[in-house]
Amino acid sequence: MRATATALTFLLALAGLSIGPPARGEEIPRLTFAQLADSMRANLGVTQGIRAYNGREIEIQGFIIPAGPPDLSFFLLSRVSGTGNYCCELPSGQDETVYVYTARGVSLRYDPVRVYRIRGVFEAGHQVDRSYGVSFFRVRDARVEEAVGARIFKVGETKGP
Amino acid sequence: MTPVTVVWRYLQGRFVTSVLTVVSVALGVSLVIASVLLTRGIKEGFIAGATDYNLIVGAKGSPTQLVLNVVFRMDAPTPNIPLSAYEDLRADPRVEAAVPVAMGDAYQGFRYVATSAAYFAPFSWRRHVPALATGRLFRSEAPERPDYEAVLGADAARRTGLKPEDRFYEGEEMATYPLRVVGVLRPTGTADDRAIFISLASYWEMNEVSRKARVKPLTAVLVRPKRLSDLTALHRGWNVGPDLQAALPSAILLNIFNLLGLVEDVLAVVLAVVAVVVGLYLFVTMYNATLERRREIATMRALGARRATVLGIVLLESCAIAGLGGLAGILGGHGVAALGASLLAARGGPVTHALALSALQPVTFGAVVALGALAGLLPAVLAYRTEVAENLAPL
Repeated sequence: MRATATALTFLLALAGLSIGPPARGEEIPRLTFAQLADSMRANLGVTQGIRAYNGREIEIQGFIIPAGPPDLSFFLLSRVSGTGNYCCELPSGQDETVYVYTARGVSLRYDPVRVYRIRGVFEAGHQVDRSYGVSFFRVRDARVEEAVGARIFKVGETKGP
Repeated sequence: MTPVTVVWRYLQGRFVTSVLTVVSVALGVSLVIASVLLTRGIKEGFIAGATDYNLIVGAKGSPTQLVLNVVFRMDAPTPNIPLSAYEDLRADPRVEAAVPVAMGDAYQGFRYVATSAAYFAPFSWRRHVPALATGRLFRSEAPERPDYEAVLGADAARRTGLKPEDRFYEGEEMATYPLRVVGVLRPTGTADDRAIFISLASYWEMNEVSRKARVKPLTAVLVRPKRLSDLTALHRGWNVGPDLQAALPSAILLNIFNLLGLVEDVLAVVLAVVAVVVGLYLFVTMYNATLERRREIATMRALGARRATVLGIVLLESCAIAGLGGLAGILGGHGVAALGASLLAARGGPVTHALALSALQPVTFGAVVALGALAGLLPAVLAYRTEVAENLAPL
């Protein structure tokens, strides 16, 4: 049955690939937590630069914090792992958290100490969700995969590639 | 006579062997279906019963024990925590809702859960709000003058037969503190259905240790932050201290699912071996049948049947046996899964039984028929190559 499920997943992934990513030659922009933190402005605003990504497919990497139901249809993406109690400074809050709504049928093995690569449609700006409350950065219809050898950028560091 | 009629006659001619082969295939398929449905049902049961609170604060120890006990009423409660932990959380400006919970013993196996009225609050973000089917909630009383009122979950009320105004207690030592049923909740599909809710004041006064204690005890506090982005900071803030811990319930459940995934992997290997055994049994049956029928096949050929027709008849027979076994197995597997789910549920296990049609049934049926075709291939080729002159010789 797992073989069947793997085959089905493979076929679905192929189907998803045919409609998901941008056309050949178009690069998916990668955002970092440093960019998100830098984009925050007073009065619940974000910069025009980060708003330019609204509605576009982006990539971002971070740790999964399971803040929604355990089927991971929704989770938080954070610069800091949910299990490390002493490893590094705490996130400053909203500006370093991305609210991720996964695409239907996404299946992944959760590991609190692994970095994941998220690709999906980006939204920036203050929004209140009935179930998940206030958010500033969201990725919808997200696909998730493990990011081997990934690095998370802290505020003040290089803005990444 | 059409190939279908010939196959039907063949099945009738070897009735006992055919039935036994169908039963063998059905048992194998039942095992697959029941295993998949039950593992899926347990996982879905955990998801359906998960709490809407994002954080559980309890005593230092196993976070899995904390979540399983507080959310699913399984395992033993973690050690007590002071009431001040709840008061600190309630005063925290980052916290929208903090609900105190103290786990008690049980009445006829249904656990006492002491809490406040906040446990039943209909927040917009809650998927399962415990709503009253009849009666009312217990009153919030002064700690030293409890009313000993109880609100029963739907299953607890149904199985104990208790209804509003009934008084009950379990064990002679509890006779001094009989509880009075004041309400019954609607079914929620969660562990709340199997709980008996009482007020914290009643719990503290019923319990000999807490009655004398200056600092009133709790088992845990359920927490919902105002902004989910504060979850990481809250989680870490409570974990760095030496006495208390904070657990993310969904993270704990996902870890349990990872373990279930390992079990599923082992199960997949076992099921693959079962499929091979069933396929081999089918092959041996078809092979022997073809050897026995060489003379009949030669006769058919002599009467004008083409080689391809003979090949098709053997393949069709093999697929028919596999198909019948597959159908019986799918039905039987659902029956076994339903029985297993009800037994697990009776023991308090979080399990749902997914009877809805999904890809599982058609994929399994297709795979079994394909297995039948594969098992029948060599016997079919044997039949295809049967020489007329050689096999029609006088006996």
